[in-house]
Parts: sequence; C-alpha cells; structure tokens
Amino acid sequence: MLHIKFSKQNKSVCEERGNHLSMDSMERIEPSIDPNTWIPLDEDTISKDVLSFCDEESYENRLIRSQEKTGLPEAVQTGIGYSNGTLIAPGVMDFQFMGGSMGSAVGEKITRLIEYATQKLLPLVLVCASGGARMQEGTVSLMQMAKISSALHYYQVQKKLLYISILTYPTTGGVTASFGMLGDIIIAESKAYIAFAGKRVIEETLGQKVPDGFQLAEALFENGLLDLIVPRILIKGVLSEISDLYSSVPYKKKLVIY
Amino acid sequence: MEATCLPRIYVSASAKASSGLASCASTSNTGNSSWRRFSCLRNSRIGVMESLQMSQNFEFNNWRHTKMSKKSVACVQVLRAKLNDTERKTHDDDDEYPWPQKFGTEDLEGSPLPFLSRFKPLPNKPKTVTLPFEIPLLEIEKNINKIRETAKATGMDFSEQVNELQRKYDEMRKELYGQLSPVQRLSVARHPHRPTFLEHILNITDKWLELHGDRAGCDDPAIVTGIGTIDGMSFMFIGHQKGRNTKENIYRNFAMPGPEGYRKALRMMRHAEHHGFPILTFVDTPGAYAGLHAEEHGQGEAIAKNLREMFGLRVPIITTVIGEGGSGGALGIGCCDKMLMLENSVYFVASPEACAAILWRTADAAPKATEAMKITAHELVELDVVDEVVKEPLGGAHGDPYSASQNLKEAIMRHMKDLLKLDPDSLLKHRKAKFRKIGAVQEGVKLDPRFKRKMKPRDAHLDGEQPPQMT
Repeated sequence: MLHIKFSKQNKSVCEERGNHLSMDSMERIEPSIDPNTWIPLDEDTISKDVLSFCDEESYENRLIRSQEKTGLPEAVQTGIGYSNGTLIAPGVMDFQFMGGSMGSAVGEKITRLIEYATQKLLPLVLVCASGGARMQEGTVSLMQMAKISSALHYYQVQKKLLYISILTYPTTGGVTASFGMLGDIIIAESKAYIAFAGKRVIEETLGQKVPDGFQLAEALFENGLLDLIVPRILIKGVLSEISDLYSSVPYKKKLVIY
Repeated sequence: MEATCLPRIYVSASAKASSGLASCASTSNTGNSSWRRFSCLRNSRIGVMESLQMSQNFEFNNWRHTKMSKKSVACVQVLRAKLNDTERKTHDDDDEYPWPQKFGTEDLEGSPLPFLSRFKPLPNKPKTVTLPFEIPLLEIEKNINKIRETAKATGMDFSEQVNELQRKYDEMRKELYGQLSPVQRLSVARHPHRPTFLEHILNITDKWLELHGDRAGCDDPAIVTGIGTIDGMSFMFIGHQKGRNTKENIYRNFAMPGPEGYRKALRMMRHAEHHGFPILTFVDTPGAYAGLHAEEHGQGEAIAKNLREMFGLRVPIITTVIGEGGSGGALGIGCCDKMLMLENSVYFVASPEACAAILWRTADAAPKATEAMKITAHELVELDVVDEVVKEPLGGAHGDPYSASQNLKEAIMRHMKDLLKLDPDSLLKHRKAKFRKIGAVQEGVKLDPRFKRKMKPRDAHLDGEQPPQMT
C-alpha cells in the first residue's frame, strides 16, 4: 500500500518496482506544460446518446454520473501549449472517465486537435489510456478509429509532420488498433499494459493461461513494436529533445516557427 | 473410364468458352483422381447444374447458366452416365496441387485460371441447418412431404392439400423473412451455410485469379485476395473467408485474421493502387484473431497501419459486409468510399455476447445487447454509417446464393460507375469526408463547472497567444 502523498510526489511511480500507476490527465498535463501557456480546445464537447442505449443504466445517466465523479466532461483533454519552449499539441486521455473508452466526443476532439496541428504545423503528442471503444455508442464509436486515422494520414503522410504517441497503463482495444500504434515514435511507460485483445479474451480463445508479463511494455519492446520505454520523470525532457532532433534535419527544411 | 475417386468439378458461372459453345467436360485418367472441367457460355442457363445436382455427392451453390445448346445437353447426358458409373469416395484427401497430374487436350482449351483455384465445390451435401425461428416452416414442410409420400404410396390424389400447405408455407416464409428482428438477423448472418466470400466471387466474376502471401513469411488463409473481372473490368478483391464446414473453418481460422492477414491485404491494396485496379473488399469476420502469436506480431499495429493507408489509396474502394462485421478486424479492410451491407448482415463494435458479459455482467443478456447496439444493416443506414442495403432473396442468402450474388454485383457496379467518374484527389476528399461526419457530439452548451473541475483551465496570456481558430 503506497501512501498517497509519497506516491504523488513520485509521480505515481512505485519506488520499489518502478511500476507506473495510472495517472489523471490533469496530473500529466500540469508538469509537462510551461506555466501560463495552456490553451484548451473543445472543452464543452461531450457525447450524445445516439443509440438511446440502456443497459443496467441509461447511457445518458452514466455519462452524467461519470462527469460528476471525475470532474471531466469526457475521456480526453486536448489543447496547445509550450513545453520547454516548443509549442506542441498534446491530447491526454484519462482512464478514470468510463475506462477511457473512445466514443464520438473523444474521436471528435482528437480529430480536431490533429486538424489544428496540421493547420498550424505543430508536433502532435497523444497520451493513450483506454479500455477500447465505447460500446454504448455502437458502430459509431468504431468509426472514430477510421476518422482519427484519416486525419492522421493527412497529418503524417501528406504533411510529413511529427506525431509521438505515448502508451500508458492501460492501452487496449480500438485505441491500440488506431492512433496508439501509428506514432512516428511510440513511447511506452514502464510496465504499461498494451494490448489489442484483452487477457481474458485470449485465455477464452486459446483455453490456456496467458504467460505473466505477456502484454506489458517490456514484452512489446522485445518484439519490436515500440521505440522507447521512458520513465515518467523524464518524459518532458525526452519530448523536447526529440522535437529538437526532428527540427534539425538538414535535408528537408520545414517552415515551422517554434 | 476407371476413376477411383470422386471426380471434382469446377464450374465458373460466367467463364467465356473459347469455342463459344458449352464444351463437354474432358475426362483425364490421372491415377487416383479424374478431372473434369466445364467451360460454359456466360449466358448459359441452369441445365448443366440442375442435371448434375440430381446425381449425388455434388453440391453447387447455384452457379447457374442460361440456355444450353444441344451439343452441351448431349455432353451432360454422357457425363451423367459416366458419373453414375464411377466409384464414389469421400472427399478427404488434400491434393498437393489443384490441377490434375496429367492434362488431356480438352483441358488445355480455354482459360487455365480455373485450374489454379483451390476452392472447389464441396463433395458432400451439407446437413440442413434450421434456425430457431424457422421451426414452424420446418413443420409445414414435414407435413407436405408426409402427404406427398402418402399420395405416392396409396396412389390417391392429395394435390389440393399439398397446394394449400405450399401456399401457407410461402406466405409464412414471406412473413417471417419480411420482418426479421435483430437477433434473428444475427443468426442469419452467422448461418453456417451463408455464402462465403469466394462463393460470391465465383458467382459474379468472369475470371478469377487468387494471389497469395504477404512477402514477409506468411500467407494467412483467413484473408483471401486476388484479381478478377466483372463485366470485362478488372478489380482487386480482398475479403475474409469463412469455412463451409468444420474442416475448412479450422483451416481458415474461422475468418479471424492475424496481423499477417492485414499485411497481406495492405500489400494487395498498394499493388492495386500501383496498377490502377479499383478495390472491392468483403467483410465477414467475427473479429481479428485474439491469440498469443497475433499479439506478439503486432495485431493492433497491423490494423492501425491499414486504417491509415487506406485513406491514401488513389483508387475507388467499395466495402461490402456479407456476413458478420467484427469490430477492428472488419474495419482493417473496411475504410472505403462506399459501404454496402447485405440485408441480413451485421456490423458491430463488440460481439453481443462480449458486450452483454461486460455491460450486463451475464452472457445471457446477448439478445438485449443485440437490440440495443443497433448492429443490423437498416439501423446502420439510419445512423449514416452504411450507404446502401443490398436486398437478399427471400429465405436469406443461404437459400439462394446465386441471386444474392447477382444483387450484390448490380449494387457494386452501380456505385463503382459513380466513383470512377471522380479524379483521385476528389476521391480521397470524399472518403475522408464520409468518415469525418460520423459521430454524435453535443456542443455549444455551457457545462456545469463541476463537470470541468479536473480540466486544466486556460492560463495563457490573452494578448500573447493566438487563440485557436478552426477554419
């Protein structure tokens, strides 16, 4: 049992094992963005109950309950701000809000962030923490994967801009199968659970137990699916170093004014 | 002629005959297997197939032909006699190659492409599967058969009763299939005899050539790719292939592709763009494969790469959901200019069973989940996710696969004609716009500040920064 105060001081990292526990989006943005430079985007964009979905509780009520409990309107915060003097466009997902599930609002906010970054030629940083697509929105939430990938195509392939994705605990399902794994550089936090199909689904399919440590960041690193594993305390510095490296290319001069 | 094992017949619905006449099958004695191949007129009628269906152990999914010439009728009669003489053996052996060891001279006439296809008709007629909601129909059919047998045995005339029952059967069938509930449509979409991707292909193409491999160590059987012609125009075909029986399903991994399948699909799509083939994709999968090997080799990454790249392909793409559309596994080949769905197919973000287990905490709530998630074709057209619903014949596609394929062909060609008028840049813009508009958000309503207390508020100086301006 970690004492919360010490844990927060340590940026929610266990001292003994280096396990990175999950973190609020606010706690991520706060230290990474230079003071007095943050401009949030689409603060009031929230999901609509497009299917009139009702399981044990109606989707609308679930949304309102999550909003009250977490103090967030949706599972992602997007905006622009300076980080070590470089203007970047970060989007930070939050697992607390309905398990970080990706619905229409998350899809729309991230797409708009990418479109804004394309327009202003900013580097994009998306911090992923999600349980997958939001089932209460059905196939509409599935199409958000395609929508975000389409915006990323224009951003990365046509405009040749830099996109860094940071995979945190946990990143699963639709997010892994869309923008999570499309970063020009994919950074993961230590011991983050990164998967497409969850452990339980695999065990049911195969009828056997999944080995320990199977879908953790270290295992994916060994299999060549990630670029870097970076401890939380170094993320800010690493991001600005990467931005510098990419902006100092001699061959293609980009028209970016940082 | 001494054939010792079951002759396997491959017929293409609309293969052009080189001589212009339906030529009789050639028989070549090749030791253990005898081969016959028909090349038929594109417009020939059902004569050949229906007559062959009379002989046991041949099952064709209605590869039909129009009018037959007298010569071909004579050929069929000769063939039938020969078939009745042959010794039948259950089709269990897997030949190494799909062509005979020894070719006869007639084999070399016409197109060689059918010899390269390993997809042959099933030798044994599959057992009829009745869905739960079809049980009343089964009862009436049993009664009809009983009366017919009695009539045969006693010689009395029961035609009135039979006609009456037949009329009742037709009415009930029309009523049942006219108003299927989502749960019933899901069961039709998962029907074991629903036509698979290759069956549709062989019904709609004139020529078909399957291409294999991801050039990186694997040829995933769950995704089938190839090139073919429809009405003389060449297309690239990519689709999930389910098995027609248990053995095939195991080989095809139940149409659940691994990352290699998606990489194979991507290679084919790039190849198609390079050479100018429009792409037709067919979705029929319960989902991407969830296994250790798949995860280790980057299942998520393969799908993500496909999603991104498909938005940059400068050729028209039409996706049709012919069975189940399982979440990311379906979307991996489903980013398109036009999305079509067969009437009884479904497209879901999570299978109803999984959704029920998570949200209702019991797998028994799967019917409720099916209704709530709005996964059927008509519901998705209303949500503006799908562009058109392709009608299936009465009784579902499994009842009359050929008609279902023809409906599909007509819809695809109609949409393709419109898409071929666009230049590549407009095509890409149109594809992007199609997906950009999907999503239901609420904005402009000032939220309660309590709901935003954990959001980082704006703290940039008002005069220093440019405010975000979305054009």
